[in-house]
Amino acid sequence: MLNKTESAPPRANTVPVGHNSRNRSSARRKPRLGARIEPFSRDPIALTSEDGEWLGAFDLDLDAETLKALYRKLLAARLLDERLSVLLRTGKVSFVAPAAGHEAAQVGIAQAMRAGHDWIFPYYRDIGLVLALGLPPAELFAQHMATAADPNKARQMPCHPGSPERHIFPVISSIACQVPPAVGMALGAKLRGSDEVTVTTFGDGATSEGDWHAAVNLAAAQGVPVVFACENNHYAISVDFAQQTHSRTIADKAHAYGIPGYTVDGMDVLSVYYVMREALERARAGHGPSIVELNVYRYGPHSSADDDSVYRAREEVDAWKQRDPLLRLRRLLECRGLWSDDEEQHVRADIKAEFDRAVEEAEASGAPPAHWLFDDVYAEQPWHLMQQAECLRAEL
Amino acid sequence: MPVMTMVQTIARTLHQEMARDESVVVLGEDVGKRGGVFLATEGLYEAYGPDRVMDTPLAEGAIVGAAVGLAASGLRPVAEIQFADYVYPGFEQLSSQAAKLRYRSGGRFHAPMVVRMPSGGGVKGGHHHSQSPEALFVHTAGLKVVMVSTPYDARGLLRTAIRDEDPVIFMEPKRLYRAAKDEVPDEDYAIPLGEAVVRREGGDITLISYGASMVETQKAAAELAQSGVEAEVIDLRSLMPWDRDAVLNSAGKTGRVLVIAEAPRHASVASEVAATITEEVLDELLAPPLRVTGFDTPYPYAQDKLYMPTVTRILNAAKRALDY
Repeated sequence: MLNKTESAPPRANTVPVGHNSRNRSSARRKPRLGARIEPFSRDPIALTSEDGEWLGAFDLDLDAETLKALYRKLLAARLLDERLSVLLRTGKVSFVAPAAGHEAAQVGIAQAMRAGHDWIFPYYRDIGLVLALGLPPAELFAQHMATAADPNKARQMPCHPGSPERHIFPVISSIACQVPPAVGMALGAKLRGSDEVTVTTFGDGATSEGDWHAAVNLAAAQGVPVVFACENNHYAISVDFAQQTHSRTIADKAHAYGIPGYTVDGMDVLSVYYVMREALERARAGHGPSIVELNVYRYGPHSSADDDSVYRAREEVDAWKQRDPLLRLRRLLECRGLWSDDEEQHVRADIKAEFDRAVEEAEASGAPPAHWLFDDVYAEQPWHLMQQAECLRAEL
Repeated sequence: MPVMTMVQTIARTLHQEMARDESVVVLGEDVGKRGGVFLATEGLYEAYGPDRVMDTPLAEGAIVGAAVGLAASGLRPVAEIQFADYVYPGFEQLSSQAAKLRYRSGGRFHAPMVVRMPSGGGVKGGHHHSQSPEALFVHTAGLKVVMVSTPYDARGLLRTAIRDEDPVIFMEPKRLYRAAKDEVPDEDYAIPLGEAVVRREGGDITLISYGASMVETQKAAAELAQSGVEAEVIDLRSLMPWDRDAVLNSAGKTGRVLVIAEAPRHASVASEVAATITEEVLDELLAPPLRVTGFDTPYPYAQDKLYMPTVTRILNAAKRALDY
């Protein structure tokens, strides 16, 4: 499907390629979306160019307001990441998993989902994703600061939100551990006759875990409505992609399970949105799971406990920053006369003010009470936990 | 009342629970057309079809993990692990997801699911078909753990486990699958989790056990009776939570206690029960509580019968407690 020969050297993920550039100029009738996005492309699917030009063979069917809202979500994700780093430095948050560079992947996934209807089983770097799905910032900050306002009772470390109302399965630290339950949720939707689709996200490292393979295999065998979305940032902490797998791409692994695999320029929110939409609708229509690989890059270290300078060159980081997902969409908006510096300043100030209020609200609720330690282990408290709670009370 | 084996009772109970509540689904390896390698799910596939009785790929992590997701989606999964010895790939999902889901979500999510598994030795299966890993589950906060010794209890406790709001590990001693027979009433009765049962009353010594070791424990009690020693026999049935009151009352009454189970000794359920007795009723004891357990070796093959607590081992310990 690509205008490339098999013998051509593989192109770096850093180079976006119009997956359907061959058809672009000659396409008179714009074919329906879905007929155009084919799995297993040689190079990552990229629907906009670096300078904001639409490359898709089908119409960009998002209106101006939606495009602007997408950009606002990218900005919010970036500013949230920055705010969390500030909270870390001031000692109000104990840990962060920086997400800058992943915004297009996360916002694009959220945009393709029916928020609050479809399920997301995210991983710990998906703060921008849950924000884009509508998790209130105050709840998110309370989760990070482990205050009494956290509806999950401050039981998890930062970057581990969850919300039954918004169909966000609580983030777990163990790598790929959310993938089998995501398949179970999708299986449940199938058995209940619901049209919910489950999306689960993970990094490139997760695809080496046994549970990942076991879950993808089960999903494919049962044909359940789930989308496996890999935010491939090419590093599992310090271990790079070549050491992680001998597969050419994560998407290639889908061949083994007999399901479609898409590799996508994850720095382009529109590419992510359209491919995810395709995968979600495919699942919703009963055609089973797919793997969507979103090629991204994390600008920061793996976490606040990591020093990435020992395993990757600054030049590499800087090169990826040139492909920034915010810049890409902003250029597209500017090409269409939809964005200005004034608007940028205004939206940034708006988001900042919203975060200020949310942090204040989260903080005002104070520390969680000690007795929360013993709640929710079981539906009812058994005798040994009552005894141990009594023991703690005597210490306080 | 019909006389049924333990494995027949389990299949019958699953059948009735699936008829009662259509959110109950069964999944695992060979549970469908084959009816389970021990036939514990026999007839379910024919009655309820492949959606509710699901033959899964051979991957315990996927089986247990999918059960977590099914439970979170509002269904009531009953997963089968073919042998307890094969649960380890699923242990990550049990420990990290099932056990902690309620806690880590502040009570907003939970995983009402049952994971059934044949456990224990005595079937010449070598270590990978014979182990008793219940302590691993008991040690994992958030899991409830049951090990049954009679068909009657299997029915009553499996019903409770399926209807419970927390994940329950339901352990079935495979050497009792066909050896244990009971008159099992067909009506809807349930046995609460955390409730032990006194199998025999006596005032001289308390023998506490559970699962397949109940067989040797009751034989030992009968032999003790022949020499004039009246043993009280307690079947724990639930290992988490376990029935502290029943244990302490009996220990206080007799002052001499053996805790008997075929699992290895270190950090075992037997150790926990013995330690609790020592901490709570030391003044009433006439001898230290003694553990009679399997050995701290991998489960052997050729010495299968030597590994598990024998009647002789129990009687030797009883003598030590009585002579103390």
